[in-house]
Amino acid sequence: MNKKLKLSGLALLITTVLASGCSDGGSVNSGDKNNSGNNQGSNQTSNVETSDKEPVTIEFMGHGNPNEKSIFEKLIASFEEKYPHVTVKYTSVPPGEYSQKLTTLISSGKAPDVFYVGGSEFYRFAEAGTVLNLQPYLDETELFDPDNVWKQALDRYRFDGAKVGAGDIYGLPKDVGPWAFVYNKDLFDAQNITPPSAVAGEWTWDDMLEAAKKLTIDSNGDGKPDQYGVAAYSLESAVWANGGNFIDYETGQVLVDQPAFYEAMQFVADLTNVHQVSPNTEAEQSMNGYTRFLNGQLAMFAMGPWDQPAFWELPFNWDIAAWPASPDTGETATWLGSMGFAISNKSKNPQEAFDLAAFLSLDEYGQRQNYELGQAVPNLIDMSKGEFLAVDKAPASRQVFLDIIEDYGRPDVPAFSKDTQWIDLFWQQASRVWNGEVTAQQFTAEIQPKMQELYDKFNK
Amino acid sequence: MNMKLTGYRKKELAWLYLFVAPPVLGFLIFGLTPMLFSIFISFQKWDMISSPTWVGFDNYTELFKDEKVFQSLFNTVYLMIGIPIGMAISLLLAILMNRSIKGIAFLRTMYYLPVISPIIAVSLLWQWILNQDYGLLNHLLWNWFGIKGPNWLGDADWVKPSLILIGLWGGVGGNMVLYLAGLQSVSSTYYEAAEIDGANGWQKFIRITLPLLSPIHFFVVVMGIIGAFQSFSQIYVLAVDGGPEYSGATIVYYIFQHAFKYFNMGFASAAAWLLGILIFIVTLIQFKFADRWVYQD
Repeated sequence: MNKKLKLSGLALLITTVLASGCSDGGSVNSGDKNNSGNNQGSNQTSNVETSDKEPVTIEFMGHGNPNEKSIFEKLIASFEEKYPHVTVKYTSVPPGEYSQKLTTLISSGKAPDVFYVGGSEFYRFAEAGTVLNLQPYLDETELFDPDNVWKQALDRYRFDGAKVGAGDIYGLPKDVGPWAFVYNKDLFDAQNITPPSAVAGEWTWDDMLEAAKKLTIDSNGDGKPDQYGVAAYSLESAVWANGGNFIDYETGQVLVDQPAFYEAMQFVADLTNVHQVSPNTEAEQSMNGYTRFLNGQLAMFAMGPWDQPAFWELPFNWDIAAWPASPDTGETATWLGSMGFAISNKSKNPQEAFDLAAFLSLDEYGQRQNYELGQAVPNLIDMSKGEFLAVDKAPASRQVFLDIIEDYGRPDVPAFSKDTQWIDLFWQQASRVWNGEVTAQQFTAEIQPKMQELYDKFNK
Repeated sequence: MNMKLTGYRKKELAWLYLFVAPPVLGFLIFGLTPMLFSIFISFQKWDMISSPTWVGFDNYTELFKDEKVFQSLFNTVYLMIGIPIGMAISLLLAILMNRSIKGIAFLRTMYYLPVISPIIAVSLLWQWILNQDYGLLNHLLWNWFGIKGPNWLGDADWVKPSLILIGLWGGVGGNMVLYLAGLQSVSSTYYEAAEIDGANGWQKFIRITLPLLSPIHFFVVVMGIIGAFQSFSQIYVLAVDGGPEYSGATIVYYIFQHAFKYFNMGFASAAAWLLGILIFIVTLIQFKFADRWVYQD
């Protein structure tokens, strides 16, 4: 008797395992049927008020620091209050694993309804039809006014069937990330140097170099500076300010071998190798620019809005400024990052998923929380220009963030390519220029054909 | 055999299948199926989200055109320098541990500890130890010998030696245990006979111990080479993006990058099969030459 019981128990276990395996395989079909059925259902019921709606669950996956996670938990709670029939299942994954996990979920047909997408990922997803076209929902919605959202952020999530940047909208911005130039005001005051201007074009590379030389100080005389003028100077900023470019996305031509590019790259390398006002690779390895800046041992650095909470704790005064302009052109530039919310094409409840994405992206309460906690610049234009500018907290020159968004910020280099091997190769090998092994001109001439080959192979 | 199975036999057979089922099913579902699928996918272009397209042998021919394949293969083979060094150290440790003194069990445990430590945690510790400016190792080198230590993980020439060093620390314990078992199985009669013939300690070691341990040498070399071909975790932690100028990337790291960073699953599968075939050939050669130097009792 006992034996029989055990036997049947084991058999039951095995059959359940097998059965669950089978049902997994079959769920794609039934899911599709449900999908189309629900679609019509939600369209019909969208006019009806909340009470008699069927309860739905929306899965939402993202990544980020604990701060971001707790903001989202609060936001989701208030979303669920507003939409009582919707339950949101929120998962926050470590950033390093995010892309892997998401792609695996998508390929196994278990994509979350709403998820984060970044530049090159968005391109791949849009092209493969993984993400839902939001244009119809956007045209219908009364939740927000699209004209009040940064166009520069929304445009990142357009796709016209071949290229990103134009066409229908497939995602809503989670944030806009203007990469700004930051300086330690106390160090400038100590040397009696006028700090960089917040107005683009007023302060040039020459001004920066002159200041950096005075701000690089070896106080204990061991031959290694204990305070540096500048670190991690953005190559993108230098190249674009100089009128150069990494690539022309219209023609697909890699442009790193052009004089405007390699001259800018040489300028950045010379900060370390010739002028020694910026830590070299070894110094950077032992203590990176970020730590040096926090320690008050670095005068000029770069930051995104998300660095604010850490910088608010600093014992010295700091502010942001326009990136130095190239003396050749008088122009300046920097990159503007963005992360977005996309909705899975397979979502069974696209209307609710859209409502959630729109709420997270554009709800006033959430946007206010976001900037008060120093996570981002609001996505809403009126809020950015109004209360955000009026906040009485560092950086004093908040306008710089908005100038970057509106004026001289550009999408980061990989944003418009679905495969990034060509630019990864560049960064991987660029150390040879940074450590002075070869000149920027030699290096770029050598690497351009390889980059071009990789770009052509995987992006055309 | 023609006999009809009695009820009892039938029942016994049912039990048999039932007990055999979990490992067999496990292998079929999680082992064989993915393997066959990866052969299939290695002839496709597939990014995991759109449907795969047939490309024939393109993935394989592309492999031989990518200089990174050869660089990562070179790196992988370079790391195998650690195998003979590790064998020598393990054997030495095993001989030292092969005696009955007080606290020997404790010492053996100490040397075995790295083997069971989680590799990611260990790698993070090494990252700190090997830091150029405030790392433990360079501090010791400076304080004890007055040597200015290199930038272990930041200099393209030093990444691989660093990885070998870490591999040694983590690997000798396991091999030590194998050698210890081997040493204890060598019959003392050989040594007694040699002593009567007037052999000294060194001669006994070279002529008796070393040859009689040859099955263990063989096992350690075969497993060591396979393990080196497959090394990944410590690279993932210690050589971000393959290390400076790709100097730390192994072939598995290369495969991983293509599979889970660029999502070229077909290409990555092709590379994985290339690696599989390579390991197969190398192991086959080792077995082929084994009877020339491995003594079997």
